[in-house]
Amino acid sequence: MIIGYVAGEGLLHRAHPFTSLTIAAGVTLLAFALPGTLSPWVLAGMLVVLAVAAGLTGAVVTTLVFSAPLWVFLGIIYGVFGTDWAVAAVYAGRISAILLAFLLALAAVHPGRLVDALVARRVSFAIAYLLAATLQAVPRLQHRAATILEAQRCRGLRTGGSPWRRIRSIVPLAIPLVQGALAEADDRAVALEVRGAVSGCARTPLSPPRDHLLDRVVRWGTVLVVLAAVVLRVVT
Amino acid sequence: MSVRFAGVSFRYPGADEDALRNVTLAFQPGEVTLLTGTSGAGCSTLLLTAAGLAPHVTGGTRTGEVDTLGVDPMTESGRQALAGRIGVLLATPWTQLSGMAYTVHDEVAFGPANLGWDREEIRAHVHESMKVAGVSHLAQRDPRTLSGGELQRVMFAGVMAMAPDLYLLDEPAAELDPAAAGDLYAMLSTLALDRAVVVASTDVDRLAEVVDRVVELEHGAVVADGPPAVVLGAAAAVERGTAPTVAVIAHRAGVPPDYPTSVAMAARRWSA
Repeated sequence: MIIGYVAGEGLLHRAHPFTSLTIAAGVTLLAFALPGTLSPWVLAGMLVVLAVAAGLTGAVVTTLVFSAPLWVFLGIIYGVFGTDWAVAAVYAGRISAILLAFLLALAAVHPGRLVDALVARRVSFAIAYLLAATLQAVPRLQHRAATILEAQRCRGLRTGGSPWRRIRSIVPLAIPLVQGALAEADDRAVALEVRGAVSGCARTPLSPPRDHLLDRVVRWGTVLVVLAAVVLRVVT
Repeated sequence: MSVRFAGVSFRYPGADEDALRNVTLAFQPGEVTLLTGTSGAGCSTLLLTAAGLAPHVTGGTRTGEVDTLGVDPMTESGRQALAGRIGVLLATPWTQLSGMAYTVHDEVAFGPANLGWDREEIRAHVHESMKVAGVSHLAQRDPRTLSGGELQRVMFAGVMAMAPDLYLLDEPAAELDPAAAGDLYAMLSTLALDRAVVVASTDVDRLAEVVDRVVELEHGAVVADGPPAVVLGAAAAVERGTAPTVAVIAHRAGVPPDYPTSVAMAARRWSA
């Protein structure tokens, strides 16, 4: 399972950060714009191929782990009770495709590389940092939650057993998680302050990623396909 | 004058009492100063106040005048003018990580890049500071995989790479082994050749030998200020629990004050 950046040399790692993010955004829009029950599943299938080619099969596993309970839930709601399995299939496909697209982008785009790419395009460092930090938020919270869980278990918290006990154990996990996240925001503000981030100077991108012709073709191709799908959706 | 405090008090938000009380002192270029005291004495707060992080980041209320490198660090213009000119090293190096670098080299270069230097200049400063901090061999490592001691040296390299005009170091050797701590302390006088170096630490045993001046704080107020042998060798320092181990042993052995503050000083005194 992977959530967050994974070091690698695959094709998505070599791609410009904007390309991976454009694909993720494009898949999100296409999942809603493309007609037919199967189209979200076709998108998801294409992403699975991309994940395997990019050496990020862990993202597919993560998608399955998080999507499977939702598939069951949607099946019960729309299929069993609503007797409309097609709607359940569309929603399940959309969720899976969008989740996989963003997991792939998270896994392949290093925050520092994204900052360099944005700064090289004259985006202010503050905005670039905010975007990159947002991408890191989920993996950071996940890591912090795992640490807190271990710490609380060491102090005798029982997290297994009956559903009621499991629910009760959420509070001693959630409170330090939120407090820790707030404290980390302060720490990060100090770190940025003492390391010259408020200098007002334009930051020097250390190694701005190269934007190859293929990257631009993929990005513009994605934009055109999305536009075509939206137009098709509107007129039909 | 690098830093000047005139009647400065500071209170953290929600606190019942001041963390700094009517502090008046100055730090000169060419001088290594040790700020010491028992836990909660206000040493770290004094550094944060000098850097403008208190109250800007911490919140709270400051009264009195602070002049850091010619500007008030509490004002917006002062903060901008001081960006990159103060080398702050925190006791918790992992909180100083940028989170944006995937090699130690890029982590060290994070500060200089923020100052808008050209790449050649950044490369030269990063190379030199990593060499001085003894972390050149870690250049291609992921900063998140370093030990606490390695990370502290990397962050020190990151601070040096910005070529600051003032160093404010909070327990800079907290994560280091004794040998690495000794190496770092030995560097302080070189750093202070043309700038002030202020170190907040309780490691008086080692620092007594390398600093030019000691300022002792208690409950946020300055209670002693002077050469290390005078401040740390005083009977009052032993009573307050801030004296070096050698001074405490001399006190218990019935030696009259002023006590020796280092083994070398004790040996000289007893062989004389």
